[in-house]
Amino acid sequence: TPVPDALDSSDAGGSRVVLVSMVIAAPDPGFAQLPNSPLVGPTGHSGRMKSSLTPLGPPVSRDRIITSFPKWYTPHACLQLKEHFHGQVSSTCQSRNTGTVGLRLSKVVVVGDLYVGKTSLIHRFCKNVFDRDYKATIGVDFEIERFEIAGIPYSLQIWDTAGQEKFKCIASAYYRGAQVIITAFDLTDVQTLEHTRQWLEDALRENEPGSCFVFLVGTKKDLLSGAACEQAEMEAVRLANEMQAEYWSVSAKTGENVKAFFSRVAALAFEQSVLQDLERRSSARLQVGDGDLIRMEGSPAETQESKTSSSLGCC
Amino acid sequence: VESKMADRESLPKLSGMSPPEGMGGGRCSEISTELIRSLTELQELEAVYERLCGEEKVVERELDALLEQQNTIESKMVTLHRLGPNLQLIEGDAKQLAGMINFTCNLAENVSSKVRQLDLAKNRLYQAIQRADDILDLKFCMDGVQTALRNEDYEQAAAHIHRYLCLDKSVIELSRQGKEGSMIDANLKLLQEAEQRLKAIVTEKFAIATKEGDLPQVERFFKIFPLLGLHEEGLSKFSEYLCKQVASKAEENLLLVLGTDMRDRRAAVIFADTLTLLFEGIARIVETHQPIVETYYGPGRLYTLITFLQVECDQQVEKVVDKFIKQRDYHQQFRHVQNNLMRNSTTEKIEPRELDPILTEVTLMNARSELYLRFLRKRISSDFEVGDSMASEEVKQEHQKCLDKLLNNCLLSCTMQELIGFYITMEEYFMRETVNKAVALDTYEKGQLTSSMVDDVFYIVKKCIGRALSSSSIDCLCAMINLATTELESDFRDVLCNKLRMGFPATTLQDIQRGVTSAVNIMHSSLQQGKFDTKGIESTDEAKLSFLVTLNNVEVCSENISTLKKTLESDCTKLFSQGIGGEQAQAKFDSCLSDLAAVSNKFRDLLQEGLTELNSTAIKPQVQPWINTFLSVSHNIEEEEFNDYEANDPWVQQFILNLEQQMAEFKASLSPVIYDSLTSLMTSLVAVELERVVLKSTFNRLGGLQFDKELRSLIAYLTTVTTWTIRDKFARLSQMATILNLERVTEILDYWGANSGPLTWRLTPAEVRQVLALRIDFRSEDIKRLRL
Repeated sequence: TPVPDALDSSDAGGSRVVLVSMVIAAPDPGFAQLPNSPLVGPTGHSGRMKSSLTPLGPPVSRDRIITSFPKWYTPHACLQLKEHFHGQVSSTCQSRNTGTVGLRLSKVVVVGDLYVGKTSLIHRFCKNVFDRDYKATIGVDFEIERFEIAGIPYSLQIWDTAGQEKFKCIASAYYRGAQVIITAFDLTDVQTLEHTRQWLEDALRENEPGSCFVFLVGTKKDLLSGAACEQAEMEAVRLANEMQAEYWSVSAKTGENVKAFFSRVAALAFEQSVLQDLERRSSARLQVGDGDLIRMEGSPAETQESKTSSSLGCC
Repeated sequence: VESKMADRESLPKLSGMSPPEGMGGGRCSEISTELIRSLTELQELEAVYERLCGEEKVVERELDALLEQQNTIESKMVTLHRLGPNLQLIEGDAKQLAGMINFTCNLAENVSSKVRQLDLAKNRLYQAIQRADDILDLKFCMDGVQTALRNEDYEQAAAHIHRYLCLDKSVIELSRQGKEGSMIDANLKLLQEAEQRLKAIVTEKFAIATKEGDLPQVERFFKIFPLLGLHEEGLSKFSEYLCKQVASKAEENLLLVLGTDMRDRRAAVIFADTLTLLFEGIARIVETHQPIVETYYGPGRLYTLITFLQVECDQQVEKVVDKFIKQRDYHQQFRHVQNNLMRNSTTEKIEPRELDPILTEVTLMNARSELYLRFLRKRISSDFEVGDSMASEEVKQEHQKCLDKLLNNCLLSCTMQELIGFYITMEEYFMRETVNKAVALDTYEKGQLTSSMVDDVFYIVKKCIGRALSSSSIDCLCAMINLATTELESDFRDVLCNKLRMGFPATTLQDIQRGVTSAVNIMHSSLQQGKFDTKGIESTDEAKLSFLVTLNNVEVCSENISTLKKTLESDCTKLFSQGIGGEQAQAKFDSCLSDLAAVSNKFRDLLQEGLTELNSTAIKPQVQPWINTFLSVSHNIEEEEFNDYEANDPWVQQFILNLEQQMAEFKASLSPVIYDSLTSLMTSLVAVELERVVLKSTFNRLGGLQFDKELRSLIAYLTTVTTWTIRDKFARLSQMATILNLERVTEILDYWGANSGPLTWRLTPAEVRQVLALRIDFRSEDIKRLRL
């Protein structure tokens, strides 16, 4: 077995033994057994199989179909100013030559202080509900949202993390591999805006530099008057520029901008995925071109052909 | 003609009906009398006459046909006449029938209205009886209650009160307005008094019974509460009693914990055990008392009971966890670990081994809580299901929501989540530190392909993820998988990457002679003296060995990650089949696992990089000079030299020998898969280099034959050392040999273009010309003249 547990082989070096004893110091497995407990009574074994969730399912709902490139919220803080899909991307999509991008998921991580409304934002988008009852998220929640972008199926995997300090340990384990980081703050609470800097830093630490799109999202827009909102937005836009993030104001309660925001997130992530895929394919092709690194040979046709070619050489 | 015309015209009037279509009837002659009169020429007259004759014939035929129908029409008329009187008879009969139906209908209506009246009367009668019964019952209850209370037969009394409570209040109200109103009033008053008295008595007796811990009495009065309509009160009082039991038992257990000998077999998991006892106690209580609650309180009440019990459970859990945190220094340990985890921290590091027991205990505690919560969920849901079988979807959802809220928001859930949060960080530290140790203590044993750290690291990672899995918390498991992925992808991969980056040392000629086998020997001897240190590699041989071992390590890592993924997948199938975690648990898990699996590819890429490096630094510098010696062997030879070559091979045998020697050394120290990839790289290199020198040489016919022989030997040898076909790599060279072997320039056309048959030319026409030009006995004009 590639992962052997026979670490205590007798001919191991002395220093080895230290490590082995250290690793094997776990209590014996009998500790974990619960014989004759009422907790695992006769009903303890009944259970139903859960079907695994695949990104391929029923057709994408109509309001998840994105045909034209979604626009930014404010030109003063946005990741891209262009109004159409990247030329290469739209042509690739038209020729349905997107390879495996359609089967891929983009990981979106939502971070921010507690009670700013991360879960509400996600629930408004994914389930179109708004629950007034505040219930703190424990650990992490998770939603998969399917889109069809420029005719290609695409999914966002939205990880909703806990804002409470005590769950930070577990939540931060989920930051890795994110394509999009959404830092949320409460428009009515300037403190939460200040904290986004720290949240972003934590999330970026677990990811490769420059690999993530960053969004700064102000929530609870409905609670502010026009003027107050503008004031808050100005602050936020300034910070967004510092963080190299795109800024959005939303309200999960009224649903304002929620769909537009996630469409923008999905489109940007999708475009990047397609471009990355194209790049990888072209570099892979180059490698095959200058050759001979690893090429699968010995397909029947090829073998036969090379045999005949060498037999011809005999004459 | 005229009379016939008249005949024809009057025909429709005669028959009284128009002749059928298509027989020509009703059609006027095309020739009018005026036309005839105007005619003067004989010829014209004759022509008209002929046409008229024709028309006459047609008309006659039509007339005949019509006359034939006359008989049938007449017979039909006769039948009609005969039907006349019958119809009159029928009319009379029908009128009579209508009369009868009318009569019957009236009769029926009369009867049914009487029946309705009867029914109404009957209903009223029943109501009257019911009321009389109720009034009697009321009296009976009143009398019964008094007697029962006097006899202290509380069940009987409660049954009477229950009967009274079930009575229709409006009936009682009506009865009071009757003649006997005052009497009933008195009775009611007595009854109400009795009810109050009974309530007081039951409450009091219940309190005494609970105080005395008299279970039969407790249960006796518990059963009476619902009869008095006091469901909530009964349940709350009863659970109060149960909670006291839970609490006293739990305190006892906690005291036992504090007195536990640290040498006890289960001392390391004593808090998990205490929690288990608590949960089992509650589960037993639920199991024991569920039937009573169901029978006397009806379905759907278990939720209320458990809500009360959970409050006590939470309190006890808090106590146990507090003790756990204190006794095990959980928070201090966590803070210490947190400090250690910060890079460039100066605090003294915790020995990861010391964390081992506490980590195991925490996961065990969480696993028990999950088990307990799952038990509650199952019991409450099934109890709700029985009660809600007829209920609306909203009620069901409301119940589900209550259940979720109870289980997710209870203090137990939150406390455990907090503990697991700390656990994750500590487990991460444990994994990271232990992996670092495994790397630091890395050793290599002779005869092994890999060094110890790969097995050790994967053992550790597997252990840590396994422990997270044993907590039964999907969030915890996924977090740990993510942390392991990060550890393998960055930290551990960096270790291997840095080792590869040191490179495979370029070797002097003497080094080649000694080869890698001697490196193994040196390594082994230094190992025995316990001096070997992978970090400070001084000798080139050791550096070489380290490089090769690292390559093997990288490959095994890639394999191990795939295996780890598969193992985890099958381990979790069981967990998911028990319905652990939310609806998205499986998707969460799959997502994290696929991230882990992706790291396997990163190791493959690293392996490929390393192999390329090895090929260019170790193989190429040696293979190149060997191939260059080809240039010193003349391929412009006569019969005599050709034969001499036969006996004393000038190049290829030595080359093969050299290759064999070199590759044998690699074969011994690389895993079969890597060795395969390396030979593949080597053969490609040989093919490219050989092509280069061939194009620099000159040949005659015999020289071409000699080259063909040489190439064949080389291919034959290489085929034996590689598992995949190398023919393809040598296709160009084989084709060059074919060209160099030609008798005449034009013979190429036998193999070219339409004549190529199954052969695919890998050489361009320009290259073919270039190779042809290598033959000094071919004239360049002939080559130029070729049409390719």
